[in-house]
Amino acid sequence: MASAEHAVPAPPGVDRGAVWRHVSLQNAPLILSLLILLGTTGLYIVFFNSNTGGLPGSFELTSLANTTLPLIFAALGQTVVVLTRGIDLSVGGMMDLSNSLAAAEMHATLGSELLWSAIIIAIGAAGGLLNGLLVVYARLQPILVTIATLSIFQGLAIAVLPQPGGAIPSAYTSVLTNPNQPTSLAYVAFVMLAWVAFRRSSFGIATFAVGNDQDAARARGIAVDRTKVLVYTLSGMLAAIAGLFLAASATAGDATTGDVYILQSIAAVVLGGISFAGGRGSGVGAVAGAFTLTLLVNVLFFAGINPLYQQFYQGLFLITAIVLGAGIARLGRVGRIGR
Amino acid sequence: MTAIAAAFGNLGPIRRRVIYAYGAAIAIFLVGQVLHPGFAGGDSVRTILLVASFVGLVAAGQTLVILIGGIDLSVPWVLNGAAILLVTTGLGQNGRLPEALALTLGMGLAVGFANGVGVAYVGVPAVVMTLGMNGIMQGLSLGLSQGLTCQACTSYAPPLLQHIELNTVLGIPEQVVLWIAVTIAVTVVLGATAFGRRTYAIGNNPTAAFLAGIRVKRVTVILYMLSGFFSALAGIMLVSYGGQASLGLGDPYLFQSIAAVVIGGASILGGRGTYLGSAAGAITLVALVTLLSAENIPEYGRSIVYGVTILALLLLYGRERRH
Repeated sequence: MASAEHAVPAPPGVDRGAVWRHVSLQNAPLILSLLILLGTTGLYIVFFNSNTGGLPGSFELTSLANTTLPLIFAALGQTVVVLTRGIDLSVGGMMDLSNSLAAAEMHATLGSELLWSAIIIAIGAAGGLLNGLLVVYARLQPILVTIATLSIFQGLAIAVLPQPGGAIPSAYTSVLTNPNQPTSLAYVAFVMLAWVAFRRSSFGIATFAVGNDQDAARARGIAVDRTKVLVYTLSGMLAAIAGLFLAASATAGDATTGDVYILQSIAAVVLGGISFAGGRGSGVGAVAGAFTLTLLVNVLFFAGINPLYQQFYQGLFLITAIVLGAGIARLGRVGRIGR
Repeated sequence: MTAIAAAFGNLGPIRRRVIYAYGAAIAIFLVGQVLHPGFAGGDSVRTILLVASFVGLVAAGQTLVILIGGIDLSVPWVLNGAAILLVTTGLGQNGRLPEALALTLGMGLAVGFANGVGVAYVGVPAVVMTLGMNGIMQGLSLGLSQGLTCQACTSYAPPLLQHIELNTVLGIPEQVVLWIAVTIAVTVVLGATAFGRRTYAIGNNPTAAFLAGIRVKRVTVILYMLSGFFSALAGIMLVSYGGQASLGLGDPYLFQSIAAVVIGGASILGGRGTYLGSAAGAITLVALVTLLSAENIPEYGRSIVYGVTILALLLLYGRERRH
């Protein structure tokens, strides 16, 4: 399967260059997503410098990570589902619900913060489990199941928090999305490590196998049904965590702020090079895609673009990045055949 | 014998699902009639069909692209952009109506053309192409109309177009007549023309369709153009109904159109489905929403019951075959 971890040292007599070409070709989408991130970062630094005369420092990096964390978690949940050829449109509703519950119920005591974080993540898991059971055992199409549960989660969120408001304890914000300390970078690093662990676990391997060829996976003794149920459960949990980070950075709740993350998480997955045909992609790519989207907003801001046109440039960027990426990947393949 | 059974298994479920979809719509009307006598009466049905025609028109385009395994996520802002374009070019004058209609529908076709070329010729996945296009249309709509604060943005629809739902043909609002015409046209094109056959063939197996001599790319472009056209048409109809354009007008129609298509029995993977089914799905969804509003349930309750009902309906008849 396509993964950098399989870059085994070349046995004697094997052309090392050929091995590296193979590895880079197998990981072309991931490498491209990192290149897109690099390019966007370059643009960001240029525009930042021309506006402020300096370079972005640790404050900018921290605030960038703080802003991106909700999308990172939502996109990772979307990633594992897309890897099994599914889609989860309910992430936005689960973020709404998580966000509302945190703002309405959490008190400024350590016990309450821990308890409600655990309860909210458990609710996320339960909602995701419901999606998974409906997709697997009721044999309903994922897109429709998650449109329906999206509506249910949105309704529950409004029931919990009818008007925007509530309050998030400041201690909670300082742990999750501290604007002055780079704690958020630690979460990003942790998420990447967690991805590597997932990728190597039997659950991770099963997820990729199911996405590549469900029947072959079943024939090889992989518990396809259980894997799919778990994937949706994980997506629900990650969406709930995304909602907690969103609440922490906003310091208040709103039952509708999660909705934009439905299409944003799909955009991050696309920019991360994860294939909608299933079985191919990396969570690292999704994290890169999430950062690219946030950086792009900053680039447009520093470039003095009228905010009304922001979506125009984002849409154009999304399509252009994918077209260029596909073009480069095609050139790579042609190069290999030509050799 | 097994061949016959297999053929029945392949053919049967599609028609059965359409019947189930209409059954679901009728069931909701019956429940409504019990709870609110008059819900299944002429006036109420007329209103529900009128509101369902908006979802129905969008779902026509969505059905066509879903049949080839595609999807059109650019619906919300093609629709919203069309509404804004119509009022800003029509300026509330009948004399400008033909020009405004041509421009607006042309815009829908052009956006669909770009989507289709991106998907078919450039090879961009449909999700990416149409999601990006939705952003492009949103940015253009907001930017060019200065956030709908431009002077022409407050114009009303040209009088000829206003309240066409009040004009009736044999007691049926003109808007519903238009929808019925679209339903017949799409059904005939899909069911009885070579183009329809090609569409299903591409949805079932694009490679086989290509090898059979079908110009897969050209058909794909045409289908996306039709989807853009129907979104723009729905935008025009919404302006005619409401009188003015507003921001966020198209937002509900993305998921509703997809839900209508799937409730109508189509497979999101392509190759299976009919527009008659999608139309039934649109009626079911709108009848459900209308019933929930009539029940005086608060917003959150409507949202929850809406989701639960969609799931319940699908559990009854929308299940995929066992592997």
